[in-house]
Amino acid sequence: MKSMLRQSPTIFELRVASILFACAIGANASVAMADDGKPVTGGTVIAALNSTTIPTLNTQLTSSVPALFAADVWADGLMTYDKEGNRLPRLATRWEASADGKTYTFTLRDGVKWSDGKPFTAEDVVFTLMTFGKFNTYLTKLVPLVEEASAPNATTFVLKLKQPLTATLDLFDKEVFPLMPKHIYDGQDVATHPANLAPVGLGPFKFQSWASGQSITFVRNEHYWEKPKPYLDSVVFALIPNPQQRMNALIGGEVNWFRPEVAQVRATQEASKRGKFKVVQIVNNAPETAVVDLNLTREPLKNVKVRQALFHAIDRERIVQDVYQGLAATAKNAIPTQFKDLHDTSVNYDTLYAYDPVKAGKLLDEAGYPLKDGKRFTIELTVIAKPPYDAVAQIVQSHWSKVGIDVKLSALDQQIWTNKVYTQRDFDASVISLTGRTNPVLGVDRSFVCNEGSVPFANPTGYCNPEFDKVALDASAAPVGQQKPFYKKYAEIIARDLNQLALADSKVFEAVSTDLKGLDAQFNFSFNTHPNWAEAWLPSDKQ
Amino acid sequence: MLRFILQRAFYALPLILVIIVVMFTLLHLIPGDPVQALVGDYPVPPAYRQAIEEKYRLNDPFLTQVWNYVTAVLQGDFGYSYQNQRPVLGLILERAPRTILLASVGFAFAIPLGMAIGVITGTTRSATTDKIWTTSALIAYAIPTFWLGQLLVMFFALRLGWFPTQGIGPLVSRAHGFDWVLERGRYLALPALAFAIHEGMRFARIMRASVIDTLSQGYIITARSKGLTRGQIIRRHVLRNSSLPLVTVAGYAFGSALSGAVLLETVFTWPGLGLLMVDSIRLRDNLTVVGVVIFSALAVILMNLLVDILYALLDPRIRTGG
Repeated sequence: MKSMLRQSPTIFELRVASILFACAIGANASVAMADDGKPVTGGTVIAALNSTTIPTLNTQLTSSVPALFAADVWADGLMTYDKEGNRLPRLATRWEASADGKTYTFTLRDGVKWSDGKPFTAEDVVFTLMTFGKFNTYLTKLVPLVEEASAPNATTFVLKLKQPLTATLDLFDKEVFPLMPKHIYDGQDVATHPANLAPVGLGPFKFQSWASGQSITFVRNEHYWEKPKPYLDSVVFALIPNPQQRMNALIGGEVNWFRPEVAQVRATQEASKRGKFKVVQIVNNAPETAVVDLNLTREPLKNVKVRQALFHAIDRERIVQDVYQGLAATAKNAIPTQFKDLHDTSVNYDTLYAYDPVKAGKLLDEAGYPLKDGKRFTIELTVIAKPPYDAVAQIVQSHWSKVGIDVKLSALDQQIWTNKVYTQRDFDASVISLTGRTNPVLGVDRSFVCNEGSVPFANPTGYCNPEFDKVALDASAAPVGQQKPFYKKYAEIIARDLNQLALADSKVFEAVSTDLKGLDAQFNFSFNTHPNWAEAWLPSDKQ
Repeated sequence: MLRFILQRAFYALPLILVIIVVMFTLLHLIPGDPVQALVGDYPVPPAYRQAIEEKYRLNDPFLTQVWNYVTAVLQGDFGYSYQNQRPVLGLILERAPRTILLASVGFAFAIPLGMAIGVITGTTRSATTDKIWTTSALIAYAIPTFWLGQLLVMFFALRLGWFPTQGIGPLVSRAHGFDWVLERGRYLALPALAFAIHEGMRFARIMRASVIDTLSQGYIITARSKGLTRGQIIRRHVLRNSSLPLVTVAGYAFGSALSGAVLLETVFTWPGLGLLMVDSIRLRDNLTVVGVVIFSALAVILMNLLVDILYALLDPRIRTGG
């Protein structure tokens, strides 16, 4: 088997070399900043986060949205992605895989220091993997496969696996694998360590203070490796749980950045016409898909014809237009279109399960559920009582009602919903919007791979198909360039079995003050990473 | 008076204990997983679940948890908030002053506003004036505070730009001294105004009914026959006697306001007890929820006590036991 990186080390090295060359001649930011002038230092950006309580900032331990946004400011990792989906070096300057796909060697940037001034070495990378691996929801897939993680010298990290895992490099991007300082955590209780709330990291800014319920302040990290960045003196996160208030705060000039909710994007775009801020689409290299999970252990959803009928009965374009205000696309198959190299267009829900209430009715008749007094059967549709889930569920309810299904809508508190769907499995159908990552193994698989336990946010449908599980495993182990046929089969099986109805892939937008400069460079990232504010700067008269 | 206060405090103790047990039981019955709330919308790794559950003893039997908590509370320890990573008492003591400030300023405007409208509508001889004021007060009272808050933000903050849209103060500020107070005042203005309008209209309706009742009393006829002017009668007799029901209602209202005006604090991102309560329920931070509820109960009990004392001061018949 050829590994993904064995195929193109030369190209990669050329790209790194070109970046280094560009840095050397001082032209690295010239393209993006041509219209903005020369960056000056100073000033503060105030960014709104969507909670007043953030239990931990350590994203080795959480995937909560506010913590993820903060992490890009204070933490860093081995690599990241630009908006084209290309891997970019961060603290690893290069990486390569052995021919058998079992050994990965990372060369680390030399002379880098943690925000407290202590040196960063390969020992920190080994420590992060071996200590946080068991606590990190993504790394739990990798850790059992690790034969050895070692640091032969300060700038080399070597990972030996018992068997190849094609998604390995995806597990080392800076969001999934933020690096943690060994000298802070070693020998201590890392799950509840105070540093999880006052972190020491490698990002452009370092933690300064936390005003309970109000804000978290990060100031310039004087030890940051990517000189002369960052340009700003500080990044302040305003903790604003109410989405309307986040938007108001941006319009009122009290904050400089926020990520609008789906239903707010149009209104934010309208308000941006005054010129104080602009709305930027973040390229969605990792998907966020609204879905309906169906409980296959219950009648009548056991019957595949019923599930097919339910899919035909939903006008997904209506969801795209009404809930997402046109800022989404109907989901095409189980492998989202964002995975350009893995998505096979021959499996297309738009044609396979086109909106057709008449056909849905016929399928239900064939399944043994004819109309009686205008009704076929009753099911409960459960959902978290907040946008956009509730609006999606209301449309699904209305469409299913049209074909004679009596739908009881249960809009619940998130914790109660989680307990009902994943722990108790006491549901018929459930609406949720799931976030993927940069590889199906890290996000998409969880909807379909057999989950016989009661693990939340993993396949609650009771769908356990050994044939599918093998295809998913083979797909994950296949070398880059050879995965697509496996993922085609993957999509075909799910299109046939339909334990989950994929509705819409949403787009992501962020709104940012036009006072800030260097935004093109700053926002050159893909969804699932976030602005780290290292590139942005404020002109002197705006500070 | 001291005996009276001690007696009240003695009665309050079993009430607090009952509140603790009831709250613990209710929170125990509500489905939820605090460890999942820590991790977000991805599966919790078993090792992480075990570490958190052991650290915070989340798997202790229910009765053990209740017993440990009650004995700790009696020693002044309100437990540890695992979602805020700090002791609950410190969290409440930090958030409570913010809620007290909002409630106090709101009441400082609501009471005179309510009294003024109540006296005007209760004493006017013009049916039209009465109707206009009464209807306006009713409409203002009927508007939900979160909507009223949004309207105030839209007009005064977004359109006129006079006030900030949310928060308790600027996140980046160089102001000192009086400038600092003024700056903070701008953040307080809109939530306090929303609070004052809502509560003030409630007080106005009570005051109006009380004024009308007072005006029908015999001593008012006596005062009139003595030749006192209308203004003198209102100032000397009506205001004082009509205020008693208002003191009762305002006392209770203030007591419950101290537990946090949940909607108002959410609308204005005012990080007081109300917002803390909402977050703690969402994240199943049960010890914080119970802590805030105990604080609220104490606030209500304390305010009732103050109402009784104020009653005695306002009405000599109560003071002398007549």
